[in-house]
Amino acid sequence: MPKLKRDLTMEQQLVRGPLDLPFLMLVVMLTSIGVIMVLSASYATAMGEGRDPIFYFLRQAEFAAAGFVLMYIASKVNYQWYRWGSVLVLGLAFLLLVLVLIPGFHTNRSDNVKRWLRMPGIGAFQPSEVAKLGVILYFSARMSKRNTEKKKVYDIRKPSGVIFQALDEWGFMELVPYGAILLTIIVLMYFEPHMSGTILILIPAAAILFAGGIKLRWFAIGGTTVVSLLTLIITTTDYMSKRINLWRDPWSYPRDGGYQIIQSLYAIGSGGLFGVGFGQGRQKQGFLPEAENDFIFSIACEELGLIGAGLILILFVLLILRGYWIALHARDRFGSLLVVGITTLMAVQVFLNISVVTNFLPTTGVSLPFFSYGGTALMIQLIEMGIVLGVSRQVPAPKQG
Amino acid sequence: METPKRGEAQTELSRTAPDRKANRVILRRTLFLMLLFGLITFLPLFHRLYTIQIRDHAMYQQKAIDQQTMDNPVSANRGDILDTNGNVLAMSATVYDVILSPKDFKALQERWDDKYTDNEGRVLTEKNGYYPRPETDDVAAALSAILGLDPESVLKKLEKNTYYEVAASRVELEVSDEVRGLIKEKHLSNSVLLVPTTKRYYPYGSLGAQLIGWVNWKNDNRGAYGMEALYEETLAGETGRVVTAKDASGKEMKYSFQDYYDASDGNTIHLTVDATIQYYCERILEKGIEMFDVQNGGFAIAMDPKTGAIKAWANSPNYDLNDPWTVTDPVLCEYLNTVREDPAALEGAYSTALGQIQNRQWRNKAMNDSYEPGSTFKSMVLAAALEEGVINENSTYYCPGYYKVGNESISCSQKAPGHGSQSLAKAVANSCNPAFMMIGQALGAEKFYDYLEDFGFLEQTGIDMQGEGISLVWDRKLFTAPSTQQNAYLATASFGQGFQATPIQLITAASAVINGGHLMEPYVMQSITAPDGAILQQTEPTEVRQVVSEETSARCRTILEGVVNGGTGKRAYVPGYRIGGKTGSSETVESRRGEDRTIVSFLGFAPADDPQIVVLLAYDAPKPVAHKSNFTERGYYISGGNMAALMAGELLEDILDHMGIEKSYTEAERAKIDVTVPKVVGQTAQIGIEAAKNIGFTVRTVGQGDTVTAQIPSGGAVIPSGSEIILYLGEEKPSDLVSVPDVRGKTAAQAREILAGNGLYLKIGGSSSYMSSDAIVASQELTIGAQVERGTVVVCLFSDNTMID
Repeated sequence: MPKLKRDLTMEQQLVRGPLDLPFLMLVVMLTSIGVIMVLSASYATAMGEGRDPIFYFLRQAEFAAAGFVLMYIASKVNYQWYRWGSVLVLGLAFLLLVLVLIPGFHTNRSDNVKRWLRMPGIGAFQPSEVAKLGVILYFSARMSKRNTEKKKVYDIRKPSGVIFQALDEWGFMELVPYGAILLTIIVLMYFEPHMSGTILILIPAAAILFAGGIKLRWFAIGGTTVVSLLTLIITTTDYMSKRINLWRDPWSYPRDGGYQIIQSLYAIGSGGLFGVGFGQGRQKQGFLPEAENDFIFSIACEELGLIGAGLILILFVLLILRGYWIALHARDRFGSLLVVGITTLMAVQVFLNISVVTNFLPTTGVSLPFFSYGGTALMIQLIEMGIVLGVSRQVPAPKQG
Repeated sequence: METPKRGEAQTELSRTAPDRKANRVILRRTLFLMLLFGLITFLPLFHRLYTIQIRDHAMYQQKAIDQQTMDNPVSANRGDILDTNGNVLAMSATVYDVILSPKDFKALQERWDDKYTDNEGRVLTEKNGYYPRPETDDVAAALSAILGLDPESVLKKLEKNTYYEVAASRVELEVSDEVRGLIKEKHLSNSVLLVPTTKRYYPYGSLGAQLIGWVNWKNDNRGAYGMEALYEETLAGETGRVVTAKDASGKEMKYSFQDYYDASDGNTIHLTVDATIQYYCERILEKGIEMFDVQNGGFAIAMDPKTGAIKAWANSPNYDLNDPWTVTDPVLCEYLNTVREDPAALEGAYSTALGQIQNRQWRNKAMNDSYEPGSTFKSMVLAAALEEGVINENSTYYCPGYYKVGNESISCSQKAPGHGSQSLAKAVANSCNPAFMMIGQALGAEKFYDYLEDFGFLEQTGIDMQGEGISLVWDRKLFTAPSTQQNAYLATASFGQGFQATPIQLITAASAVINGGHLMEPYVMQSITAPDGAILQQTEPTEVRQVVSEETSARCRTILEGVVNGGTGKRAYVPGYRIGGKTGSSETVESRRGEDRTIVSFLGFAPADDPQIVVLLAYDAPKPVAHKSNFTERGYYISGGNMAALMAGELLEDILDHMGIEKSYTEAERAKIDVTVPKVVGQTAQIGIEAAKNIGFTVRTVGQGDTVTAQIPSGGAVIPSGSEIILYLGEEKPSDLVSVPDVRGKTAAQAREILAGNGLYLKIGGSSSYMSSDAIVASQELTIGAQVERGTVVVCLFSDNTMID
């Protein structure tokens, strides 16, 4: 027998608050458009592999359906639980990141990249997806307690104590745990290797730290370090410098490397204003590799034109803005930071993916949320959306009168 | 809500000062992130999309379409070239290039290995669709066997790391079928490809080579020379295209578009040329070149004088249109051999020489070049002077063997004492230069130049052939200026020297002289028909202008017939045909320098009363037996009359016969034709009479019987056609002897009559084919007064005054 509202604790009442409808609608719209685009983008590939033309579409639709269920469940979870649950998720993430490096657990690929864990039944998934969530959860949980944390007392009689005291006053000591976590993840993912995944963990983490109030100078220092390191890597390693050259002039490498981006540009460019029509795209007919995956947006551009692609982008913009809006209105700092992390993750993925397919940035393997084919990724994204919706349930109603 | 919830109030209360500050920081910084990730980062993306999709749309779309579409050319069939009777002079057929794609072949083998071997390398012969592995050696061996190539070279190509190797070019249909079989048998599609292309066939080989021209497969099958080049566009048709959407592997897209642009086949060109006449012309050229040791080739042009339609256009040296790069002409081959075997020759000298020789055999000399027409030009001077009335048939000219122009003495071909006093007709027949210099003088420089212009010597004829040459004629001012020099120009021009005209100008002008005065525009293309037979274009005879009157033209024909009938052109005489013409022995720039180069020519037409055909036959530089000698090694006197006319007679006889123009003999001619008398004794009267009449004898019968019992002369005797033979029907023939009368000094007709009165027959002896009706019996074989049997044949030799043009 369900409890009456008045019998519920206030916590329980809050959890039963209304979902943020605009955010939910945007997620549903984007997912639906995304799944339909998978249909168009994948059938040539499916036929090429001798499968049913709607094979990929059906799988993606199934995952989307499952994802919606998971999203709903996630939205029903009182996010306050994540304050301590985040530790478990982060721990799981570390476990999986280690596991994926062990032969036998990761999928075998010719290029020896170890990003995917074998998952009997559903195929494969990336531990980095769990790591993203774990980092966001843990960072926001820890940052939200920042002000209430007891000040550590250092023994200033010891020289080390003096140094720690000074560093603490500088604001360094509080960064140590975050840094340690990120560094460990960076190292683990370096062995996969998974550069784009690392970026997608670092930027939301930085956003949480930023929003959480970490002094700006650390971002300046961190930013400078990253930029100089990148410059060093680009200028010293052949692999990276070739990537940069590729990005600047893909036409000089029409066979190796430049091919995909050239084909992507052909697809986007031939779309024009109105597109060639849904399903009528020709670039997916074996010309554009990964048409249903990382480069699905190019197919959307080709078939739906600037109008269709612009509309999709605007939906993403609205989703992101609404996400930050929820963060701004969240009941507590944890909720705010959590939504900031997830929304930033979403925003960065969209930005990176579209930057890559339009050759605005050098190629990195970032998929487009809700669009790119990939069941587990879609489910995790929808779970993240569920978390945001869960936060939105506890947004205090505006005062009236 | 009016009252804040408890929890909220609690939070509010528990907030400390730094807490509020922290919240403000979160608010500010989240707003910043919102701005950054929600708006700012998207702006460059929208801009990018705009740039790619709108600004550079056309460029990307074109590139995408280029790779997405298969643009397969559908080759159009090149139109045929036919002669006037529909004989195929040039036609096209499909042949194939055999292309190898070694990379695809390697991929094919790898696919086979993947499919039909397991991990241990065992071959899975039971597997569905198994076929033996296409081994490189086997394929190379099989292919080279079909193509007739060296297996090693094919193997080498097959082992390369490329997508495109030409194994063989332009193989015929049967060979390509075999290759197709091999591809099917060994599953080689994509690795061995047959690419259709067309080949041009010239069924008559070298016939009309410079006129027809050929198609250069090294240059996209475009016409290289002659009609093939001139009518390239209409012959080639339009290549069609099939544009198909394709996927990245080159297969047709499943749902897709296809655009067809139909190929339109080339049109057929019907020439005015008659392959048979063309053949006669080439044969006579070749024959003459051999007979007269001609060094520089020659040409023969045949034209319908009434319309200007070209009936034949022969050049020598010649070549085989099916193999235009090969030199076959004996004179040219000899030259190449000397270059090849010359030890002092520089490297590449041979290929340079070969290139020059190839160009020389390809070019249409009779079209591109001009020459000094020489005496053949006198026909035009004659017509002009007759038209202007400055001369007539009663004019007489005295030739002392030279003519003085100013202080200069220009000699006649007949050196002193010259031709003496001669009528106009005789002067033309003699091709007397002094007479013509007088005629030119009578005409005057202005008038002369007018006619030069009217006969078309100052402009191109406008014939539809490639590279019509231009004439080299004095400027009117220079020609007509009153000076000694001008007199010399006029004098030499009067016998066709000192200026250059193209052969086509000459024959066109000559046609005007004999066809009633109409200068026609010569043409080669009779009509163009579409593949469905519809006539697209047709050439109607075009008259440029009337140069002389019908009457003048008729008078010229008569006078020019005299050239063949006893004049310098008498070697062109053919019994039964009335041939007119004019001989020419052109001086050349080289001959004036002292070198041995004379162009001997003959301009002939027939029948003289109603010309159906006009020919211009020329041999360039018959080789004298010694420098400056007038005779060739075989004893031919180097002149148009002795060489070109001799050949032209034979040529015209062939052409006229081919044109179905019946011979009609004059009485005198008939007398010259010897026929064997049939043996009719024992036959019935009717059969006997018919047999004799059919051969051309007249028959007189003696007696009333039904059976021939005797005949005079007896069967087997050779007597002139048209003679009277006597058949005795049931009666004995008289056995008395008759005496041989003296017929010396009599003409052929008189002699025959006298002999017939005595029951004897006349046979004209000697080898000359020509005998004018004025010729008289010089000697007779049988002693005068001798008693002989009735029906005996008396051979008489006639005398005739021979002349040199």
